[in-house]
Amino acid sequence: MIEDHLLLGYIASEETYEDRTVIIEEGSKGEWIFVVLEGRVKVKKKTEKGKVTLDTLKEGDIFGEMVLLEQRKGVRTASVVADGRVRVGVLDTQRVVRDYESLSPQLKDLIRTLIVRLKETTARVSAMAAGAD
Amino acid sequence: MSHGKDSLPPIIRLQYRSGDLIIKEGDYGISIYKILRGRVGIYSQSGDTEVKLATLGPGQVVGEMTFLGRAKERRSASARALEDVEVEVWHPERLAREYEEMPPILKYIANQALKRLVRMNKLLTKLSARKEAAKREAGRGRVEPGESQRQFYRKEIDRPFEYRPLDGPSHVTLTGQVKDISLGGVGAVVSSRNTKVFPHERGEEVRLHLVLPDGKEIEGRAKIVSIRRDKTPGRVFLGLNFTDMTYESKKRLGFFLMP
Repeated sequence: MIEDHLLLGYIASEETYEDRTVIIEEGSKGEWIFVVLEGRVKVKKKTEKGKVTLDTLKEGDIFGEMVLLEQRKGVRTASVVADGRVRVGVLDTQRVVRDYESLSPQLKDLIRTLIVRLKETTARVSAMAAGAD
Repeated sequence: MSHGKDSLPPIIRLQYRSGDLIIKEGDYGISIYKILRGRVGIYSQSGDTEVKLATLGPGQVVGEMTFLGRAKERRSASARALEDVEVEVWHPERLAREYEEMPPILKYIANQALKRLVRMNKLLTKLSARKEAAKREAGRGRVEPGESQRQFYRKEIDRPFEYRPLDGPSHVTLTGQVKDISLGGVGAVVSSRNTKVFPHERGEEVRLHLVLPDGKEIEGRAKIVSIRRDKTPGRVFLGLNFTDMTYESKKRLGFFLMP
């Protein structure tokens, strides 16, 4: 269970998914940020050789944070799939985005770089795991 | 704008030429750089392989990982200018205060992204190193043109040699004894005290210099491929593979090794 109050204040709703249910579909549009409350999810990416699992996220881990990069037109860069029964919290994304927009330009640059690098590195890892790189 | 209220160091700009190192992996430092002009490559060392982790451009930030993971202040990767680059140096104190005041949810998200980026970088480095090794494996047995007709042997010799870490200062020169040599590398015995001067680990690259029994000098770079305790206590036996040698050295060695 997540005890973190700071997160709880941001959770707009909760959802439960059964094993192997797709929570986020790569390529689809969506602007929610999620947090794993109970259970685990897998981060998968499409490659020439089918889907590759790149990471496993557990309780307290955030996913979907890349919407901060390009709000509204955000296309999901990876799929997130339930690994067993999982309960996730949907964050009040608008509030998160507002908080983000209120930051100094430096901090925004810093966070944006971090997320861009995560996105690009993940893409390269998946390409390499498929042997395409 | 009030004066004197802010005693923090001012934001400064620095210029780098193509190829210059902006951040060196393993160094201590917590400054953050914002790229104003040019492209910067991010590299990580894995054994003897250098893996390019990312290419960053104007508007992007370098050094943010050390800043966010303030517990450990060693640089986790190197940053090198890929062309003429101008950066703005942010003193971490300035940003640290803002960071502390940042909404906790964003701190949480930033730390999460950092954690995952560290994992992805490790995975990328591992995959790259594995690919590199496979490539080398495939390349083995390939003979350079012109050398194919001749046969080279590993010869046993007993000659002193000097070596030092590739990027180390010239005064850190260590000595040992070469026991055998081939066109591919040398086997050498060194005092185990040497290993306290700099780490003698597989993948470590050194510059080495020796004079062959015929009086000819050999100079080049080699990397440690094996380390084991020598029969004599207090000594270690190193297997070194040449990674780079001048044409002259190669010729001299080839001549010396001819049956």
